[in-house]
Amino acid sequence: MVALIFANLKMMARNRQAIFWALFFPLMLVVVFGLFEFNGVGVADVAVIDNSGGPRAELFRERLEEIKFLDLEFEEITPDEARRKVEDGDLGYLIIIPELFDDPAGQVQAEGPAPVTLLYSTRNPDRNQLVDGAVRNLVSDIHSDGGPVIPSQLLTADVIQVPEVDYFDTVLLGLLGLGIMTNSIISIAVRISTFRNQSILKRLLVTPLSIWKFFAAEIAAHVLLALVQAGIILALGVFVFGGQIHGNIIWVLLVTSLGSIVFLNIGFVLSAWAKSPAAASGMGNAVALPMMFLGGTFFSTAALPWILPQLSLALPLTPMLAALREIAIDGEPIWDTWPYLAALGGWVVATALAAVKVFKFG
Amino acid sequence: MEPAVQVENLVKRFGSFTAVDGVTFSVERGEVFGILGPNGAGKTTTLEIIESLQKPTSGRVSVLGLDVQSNAAKVKARIGVQLQASAYYDYLNLKEILTLLGSFYPSKVEPGKLLEQVGLADKSASRIRELSGGQQQRFAVAASLVNDPELVILDEPTTGLDPQARRNLWGLIREVNQRGVTVVLTTHYMDEAEMLCGRLAIMDHGQILALNTPRNLINQLEASYTVKLTMDQPMTLAQIEALNGAVEVIQSGEQDGEDPVTENTYLLRIANSPSALRAMLDEISKSGLGLENLQITPVTLEDVFLELTGNELRD
Repeated sequence: MVALIFANLKMMARNRQAIFWALFFPLMLVVVFGLFEFNGVGVADVAVIDNSGGPRAELFRERLEEIKFLDLEFEEITPDEARRKVEDGDLGYLIIIPELFDDPAGQVQAEGPAPVTLLYSTRNPDRNQLVDGAVRNLVSDIHSDGGPVIPSQLLTADVIQVPEVDYFDTVLLGLLGLGIMTNSIISIAVRISTFRNQSILKRLLVTPLSIWKFFAAEIAAHVLLALVQAGIILALGVFVFGGQIHGNIIWVLLVTSLGSIVFLNIGFVLSAWAKSPAAASGMGNAVALPMMFLGGTFFSTAALPWILPQLSLALPLTPMLAALREIAIDGEPIWDTWPYLAALGGWVVATALAAVKVFKFG
Repeated sequence: MEPAVQVENLVKRFGSFTAVDGVTFSVERGEVFGILGPNGAGKTTTLEIIESLQKPTSGRVSVLGLDVQSNAAKVKARIGVQLQASAYYDYLNLKEILTLLGSFYPSKVEPGKLLEQVGLADKSASRIRELSGGQQQRFAVAASLVNDPELVILDEPTTGLDPQARRNLWGLIREVNQRGVTVVLTTHYMDEAEMLCGRLAIMDHGQILALNTPRNLINQLEASYTVKLTMDQPMTLAQIEALNGAVEVIQSGEQDGEDPVTENTYLLRIANSPSALRAMLDEISKSGLGLENLQITPVTLEDVFLELTGNELRD
């Protein structure tokens, strides 16, 4: 058994082409996403609550709409709801136009017009500065006909503190999951299919090696390979492209191993169906690619249309990535991610049973 | 001591197809036992049941005194198997493959020693794909000896090899046998069966048609020589029948139609007596037929096979 694990590792190390492609794809994506400027300003989504409804407020809204980098929504939204959305990152900014915005009586008050509230989180400091400045200027411009105003009093910034998260950090963990998933599914499916085609499995079957030891050695060697792969992907992301891992790396690797076992089992199942190694590779891709998009590798699954967000919860990549991100980005201990781990554990059991049921040596 | 292999009324069906149809034989310790037959005769299926790779539909198989169905692991530990056309790991060298295979067994032979035995000592760091066909087959034999087995089962060990590589492998199989290892092999080469096997089972359509030493199988034939006649024109049935002493006409050229090589060619078996040949030649000259070519060969296993199955050995 130990001899088989070492022999498996040796064979994997020598199949350089396979290792190259297994690493090339995720590494290439790390490079692409690393080079991409995600923190540019882009478009800021802004919700506006108008408590005034007066002509001055209307002018303010019209002028806001002229600002190109603001994407305005005037939906009915309560301040509490908006605040929660901003906190979760689902909404960039909230502008609350006060009731007394238009009130001329208010303008003659010594303290000047009632201030507009601008609510945002600390998630995107560069953009915050830009939006804050633009809105502040606009408010002061609109009030400039009504006598002297003190610009600093025209706008109240309500800033929600959130932990600093870079999109690259989120994506880096997505790439880790993607790399482990594709490599585990495709490499085991192709490898076992090749072994079967060449009657290597049959040759092993005439020895006293028990079947469970064969499976265990394959899984152990591939999980070790997955951990090396994870180490390389994370090292590149962190040391070259400045990604950050806030949580415990041991927990990250533990979740990686658990996910890898699920995907290896799926690979075993596919290898039982595939007639040739090429077919196994195609089937592996066919399973892995949709999962990549539906599992939240690059973008939040909440952004998916139709029933896809619900469907995505039923895939093994989704709980794996959710657990990885909660541990690595939010710094949570592994036991706090237990619902995801339970889902992954369920997948381990279900896929292992399926593999045992359909697997054929001959 | 129990026989090395004991097979009783073995039947194996795949759906409606009967691959092995009531086979019974036993292999004594220390012998080289051959199963000769065309592809699809049921040879490999029989071996795979002995190796416990397949379950029999009915019948009993014991190996080294152990029932294979209930003692699969124990049997596997004591036998060596060379499968028909099986491959080995691409990314391990010969020595590493033997070390790995050896690790699955309670007792193992040192890889260097095995490679030495099969004449591949200088290839221990090579990969399988770097070997010639003959070397690959010799390696397969080495791999079957990795656990110092009491019985080795070789499924078509020389198929696809050139004549020199085949002879080389025959020598190796004899050496293994001389060290006391029982050998069971299948082949569809008549000469191989004749050269190597102490006893031989001739198998076709899932059944054993004959089982004896190669010499006895040949001696059982009424005829002792095969005569191949090529005439300048077709013979009539009456003329053929008139060839006294011909035990039987096996093949008439008329069936081959246009083929210029076999046109007007007749294969006859004649009994072991010089007078039979003379009588036949006299008959030909009397009838005024022109004889273009005449070949006389002693009967071989091929003739035995022909006699038993009514067919030439299918390839």
